[in-house]
Amino acid sequence: MTDRYLILEDGSAYLGKAFGSLATTTGEIVVNSTMNGYQEIISNQIYHNQIIVFTQPSIGNTGLDHNSYESVLPSARGVIVREYENLAKDHYKRVSLDRYLTQHKIPGIYDVDTRQIQHHLHQFGNMKASIVDVADDHAFDQLHATVLTNQQVSQVATQAPYANPGEGDNVIVVDFGLKSGILRELSRRECNVTVVPWNYSSEQIMDLDPDGVILSTGPGNPLDLPDSVLKMILSIQSQVPVFAMGLGHELFAMANGAKVSKLKVEHHGSNHPIREIITNEIFFASQEQGYAVDSKSIDHSKLFITHIDLVNGTVQGLRHRENPAFSVQFSPDGAPGPHDSNGLFDDFMEMISRRRQNNGNRY
Amino acid sequence: MAKLILDKMAMQRALTRITYEIVEKNKGVSNLVLIGIKTRGIFLAKRIADRLRQLENVDVPVGTLDITNYRDDVEHDSLSTDVKIANSEINFSIEGKRVILVDDVLYTGRTVRAALSAVMDIGRPSSINLAVLVDRGHRELPIRADFVGKNIPSSQKEKIKVYVSEIDDKDAVEIIK
Repeated sequence: MTDRYLILEDGSAYLGKAFGSLATTTGEIVVNSTMNGYQEIISNQIYHNQIIVFTQPSIGNTGLDHNSYESVLPSARGVIVREYENLAKDHYKRVSLDRYLTQHKIPGIYDVDTRQIQHHLHQFGNMKASIVDVADDHAFDQLHATVLTNQQVSQVATQAPYANPGEGDNVIVVDFGLKSGILRELSRRECNVTVVPWNYSSEQIMDLDPDGVILSTGPGNPLDLPDSVLKMILSIQSQVPVFAMGLGHELFAMANGAKVSKLKVEHHGSNHPIREIITNEIFFASQEQGYAVDSKSIDHSKLFITHIDLVNGTVQGLRHRENPAFSVQFSPDGAPGPHDSNGLFDDFMEMISRRRQNNGNRY
Repeated sequence: MAKLILDKMAMQRALTRITYEIVEKNKGVSNLVLIGIKTRGIFLAKRIADRLRQLENVDVPVGTLDITNYRDDVEHDSLSTDVKIANSEINFSIEGKRVILVDDVLYTGRTVRAALSAVMDIGRPSSINLAVLVDRGHRELPIRADFVGKNIPSSQKEKIKVYVSEIDDKDAVEIIK
């Protein structure tokens, strides 16, 4: 196997072996500590322009499965793992991880000390990195010169609205770079879904006559999005039930006056216990966050804090006090698992049916 | 044959949602009192109070109401109010309060009608709202719930059974055909 290097902005270099595409790429390097679900992780648009280091020592050994893609065109910039297996393919023996990464021009490196990388990043924070053939001065110069886009949402979110028809409630999903898991959960609940671009106005959304609106997950910094998004959220939340997650949660918080800041080290994993405050129950969820809502900035006359992360204390859930609108930082669709928080989609459906009964209109 | 409609988790989530909706509708918890209708309504009311304490750090008073002497199929006109409410425990004034009545299942509406009479005999609250875990339809009176955990369309031949772990061996809602 070809030797390749992972080089970091601070000058460190790791020699490993290539798999997947042989492209040279640059992105922000992040660590994911989830043990399962490499397919869902790699195909999640939240990793746009990022190189993913798996602390799970071996990936590739269960192939890929057509039910588990989180996007059609993944936009991660690389996969780093201790050990890579190309033995198993999917149930139908069609696609291996190696083939998938090659198709989508995502390079992989294995046989590197991922624990060392994890320690390094934990100490020095997330930074730019490249996957290159030769770790010479030129490669580092290129890396330093590369400016990563801050227009991640518009790169991965849909540019035009599209329908995902169903026979139940009319749900509008505002796409900030959604993962398919959200649509999967809505399909399970027979929703008639329309996915709209992230820059749709509240008028455009309300013209579609929604029973409820979902603000999707997505990549990047919520502060890079224009204020018009916050205005849209403020307007929508006073009219229909809203369920926001991931980037959508951060925007929901900002629309209601809270501040969001970048974490020193991004947290990608499912190993942090999360406490639901109202019941004191502990559960786990798939978390993928580079930003967090600052709990001190929350106006308690507007929002409840509903969930907190017990390891780093970050706000994991919010609920509006006067409107049926709530948000979670984690991924409730459980792709990959845990599935503990899946019931939040049922709560959203109940909110929709309550609103319909209270208004006494339709059906 | 019993069919599970709500399991433990779904039941907890329903109560959680009702709690948020109570705060949402009342714009806070000031002046709020909870009154659980015997038997299972009492435990549900206490659970809602527990959630309000977690959320808002306040103790909302919880009373219990035995509506036996207010039933419309029982002769009770000769009894005094004191006798009629002897088996209820409401150790606080409801004068001017926002009362949330809590019951497990809303069916014909006759229990709630009786509970409304009982509450009115005890005092004059500023408002009365109704929270139920299950609304199964088939109302015989013009009564509706303000907060519903789950709507379960049912046939009148079926039975809805609510289990609460405080007195039953589990938390669940079952429909029995």
